[in-house]
Amino acid sequence: MSRLELYSPEGLRVDGRRWNELRRFDCKINTHPAFDGSSYVEQGNSKVICMVRGPMEPPMRSQVNQTQAVIEMNLNIASFSTLQRRKRSKNDKRMIEMKTTLERTFEQSVMSHLYPRTLIEVNVQVLAQDGAVLATMTNAITLALIDAGVAMYDYVSAVSVGIHDQTPLLDLNVLEENDMSCLTIGVVGKSEKLAMLLLEDKMPLDKLENALAVAIAGGHRIRDLMDDEVRSHGNQRVSKLTS
Amino acid sequence: MSSLLSITRPTKRDSRSNDYDSDVDMKDAMSEYQDEGSKDNTSVVTPGELVTEDPTWMKGHGTYSLENQTYSSVAGNVLRLNRLLSVIPIRGRYEAETGDYIIGRITEVGQKRWKVDIGCKQDAILMLGSVNLPGGILRRKSESDELQMRNFLKEGDLLNAEVQSVYSNGQAALHTRSLRYGKLRNGVLLKVPSSLIIRQKNHSWNLPGNVSVIIGVNGFIWLSKTSSTSTAPSVNASTNSAQSALASKGGYKPGEGSVSITRLEEESSWEIYSDKNDEISASIRGTISRYHNVIKAMSACELGITEKRICMGYDASMMYADTSMLIEREAQEIICQDIIDSEKMRGD
Amino acid sequence: MLLSPAERSYIYDSLCQKDPIRPDGRTPLQFRPLEATTDFLPGSNGSARIRIADGSECIVSVKSKVVLSEKEANLIEWDVDVSGYRDDSNFVSNLKFSLTDLYMKNFPCEKLKLTAKYSYKLFLDCIIVSHSSYPLTLATMASYLALKSTRLPLLVSEVDDSQVEEQPTFSDDWEKAQYLAEFFKTESFSPPLYITVGIVGENVFVDPSETEEQVLENGLLIGYSEKKCIAPITNLNLATNSNNSNFKGFTPALLISTVDLLKGHLSSIVDALDTLDKQDKEDRTQSIF
Repeated sequence: MSRLELYSPEGLRVDGRRWNELRRFDCKINTHPAFDGSSYVEQGNSKVICMVRGPMEPPMRSQVNQTQAVIEMNLNIASFSTLQRRKRSKNDKRMIEMKTTLERTFEQSVMSHLYPRTLIEVNVQVLAQDGAVLATMTNAITLALIDAGVAMYDYVSAVSVGIHDQTPLLDLNVLEENDMSCLTIGVVGKSEKLAMLLLEDKMPLDKLENALAVAIAGGHRIRDLMDDEVRSHGNQRVSKLTS
Repeated sequence: MSSLLSITRPTKRDSRSNDYDSDVDMKDAMSEYQDEGSKDNTSVVTPGELVTEDPTWMKGHGTYSLENQTYSSVAGNVLRLNRLLSVIPIRGRYEAETGDYIIGRITEVGQKRWKVDIGCKQDAILMLGSVNLPGGILRRKSESDELQMRNFLKEGDLLNAEVQSVYSNGQAALHTRSLRYGKLRNGVLLKVPSSLIIRQKNHSWNLPGNVSVIIGVNGFIWLSKTSSTSTAPSVNASTNSAQSALASKGGYKPGEGSVSITRLEEESSWEIYSDKNDEISASIRGTISRYHNVIKAMSACELGITEKRICMGYDASMMYADTSMLIEREAQEIICQDIIDSEKMRGD
Repeated sequence: MLLSPAERSYIYDSLCQKDPIRPDGRTPLQFRPLEATTDFLPGSNGSARIRIADGSECIVSVKSKVVLSEKEANLIEWDVDVSGYRDDSNFVSNLKFSLTDLYMKNFPCEKLKLTAKYSYKLFLDCIIVSHSSYPLTLATMASYLALKSTRLPLLVSEVDDSQVEEQPTFSDDWEKAQYLAEFFKTESFSPPLYITVGIVGENVFVDPSETEEQVLENGLLIGYSEKKCIAPITNLNLATNSNNSNFKGFTPALLISTVDLLKGHLSSIVDALDTLDKQDKEDRTQSIF
């Protein structure tokens, strides 16, 4: 197989983007009114649905924490989400890792001390994967939690960044992701604070700062896009209720 | 006959176009950061948004503060009350407030207390001491009462109650120590988002067609047959039985009513915890299912639910002879439009 | 879901009457209104998403693979995923078995043959995103739409390859891909459906809601395709996860009359599904929300 040219000398990537461009980002909130909160996010061709139940009375005693809410993440990656159909069990190591990462991220961002002795159940359904799945999931969860009216310190907007030769490339698709070391971060709101950072392979230390800067700027852009949706949905709802 | 199955395609909520693929320029991001302060006050705020820099505001629900600046923690509307600043989320579970008239379902029978699902973040508590027991309101709860709690209320039972207090952790405590509260019979429950219910003085009504409705503030709505002897709204079976018991003795004299408060309680006996329904005619059942669908329509269109609107919706629904048509989205929208129009005509 | 005894008896009595009244006012043969989209997953050959206003939702994807006919026992493989249930739970296994059974008996698998040696194999993945009532009707309706929207690439190599050692080759042009109906060379390609039916007294109700399921005396799962009620027909307690004290046997005569009743009326269901499929093919929307 001939190696794809991931970054042309003219500065174009496989899908025609430049280094600092995001893929198409589309999000909707309150897609499943029967749940307390829900969202749908498309980041490039990655598609994720997220549904939140709660805060609610935990069905099991073991889920009761006297001082704060327990956040339970249920990830489900559809077997048809990849090009080659592949069944992923829920006990798959990678799934457990992602689950833990997401749980830790949102335990910090949700003001869980406000909801003692309750359970927040987050169901994530990945329908299609085209790179940066963890980032897409994070964004979907943020939106669904906001839709559920769960108090959060700020948005957590996630994006991935890779290093190709010397250049950082923002928001990798699956082709790029397979071919370079990549980093996924979750930015807190418009700050430069990170709620999540995941780097699973090597990245030169001197490039890291640059890559992070690009990713943070990308995260801010995604936050704005999500904020637009939340605002327009909110205003629409308010105008409906007051009319 | 109406069609047996209708399938619609999802409707686009709005067709706003985002500028995708736009550059992420670090300068851009910075400049946006600068003009954050100049946001319109009337629109909703979102998590992490600066609400005020004035430290004199007290921070209420939906806010948090960092270095004397108050930020919003939810997406919602800012509410400024005296010196209290809070953000009311657009969506969210029902938050119990003392005095709320609610409907709940027993989920657990514990020692001296029941747990009740009221659609809140946590199940509410109903203490054995906060209910009317057979044999009079004033007697102490004995150990034998504790042992037969399941005979009064068991898992799955529905009741209407009032929120007595709300603990600091958000859990609500209920009481049913009034004749209008207690176990619910003769009807069906339906749930709507609690945000559609407006707190009012009265939450139980007799509707045209011999149907009664209890609109719980928590979004649980109970539709039932109007009990035969009741004339005023919000009189439940216990009084009826007591009244009929008095009537059967034939000795109801004026003046006796004033002393009968305790007497009434004695007469109320086990009747108030009965699981048996009264005889309900087919026409009333039909009317109940029509009301059911009218309220469902209002909830689907996100219309605030009041007794007046239910009546108007019921009248509007009469253009569909068949109740089965009312579950179609189109009919639901027509009914809600009709409600809004007739409200405008009345100038409400 | 747990109902109070008073609620149960109210709903039961309403359903038991000579002219039954369902809690939501539906007629006995009326389904709940659905919302559906097809072909929204570019990575699958066909897909559909279907949902009811109460929040129940089901997504089905169809993916194809070219296989050696002699090596494959089944040319259709089902996989069911129900959120909140373990993959090895009884509930999920039963759903998977019911779907496999229905398709084994009623799907023209022999027509999936591509050449003398090779066949298409279809992988049907069904995700029940959320459900309140028994989800099989929803799942088969979604599969119906997904299969209707399924396209397979056009074969360009020889059909008779029994003497050739080459693998089949396909046209690169997706515009030339064939819908299953074209590929099968039939006018009326109609995948089978399951209809859930509830029994109370002498009355039967299609598509019982979750509340109705709690008071049913029995439940039936009836296969349906092309204006016929077909095997498998089974009875089951539709109220999963709760004990239904009303549950009891039913008379065989009721089963026969039910089958007769459905046969006459259900063609409009298929018509409704076909209409949606046609609309979606004419005017394709990319996003599902």
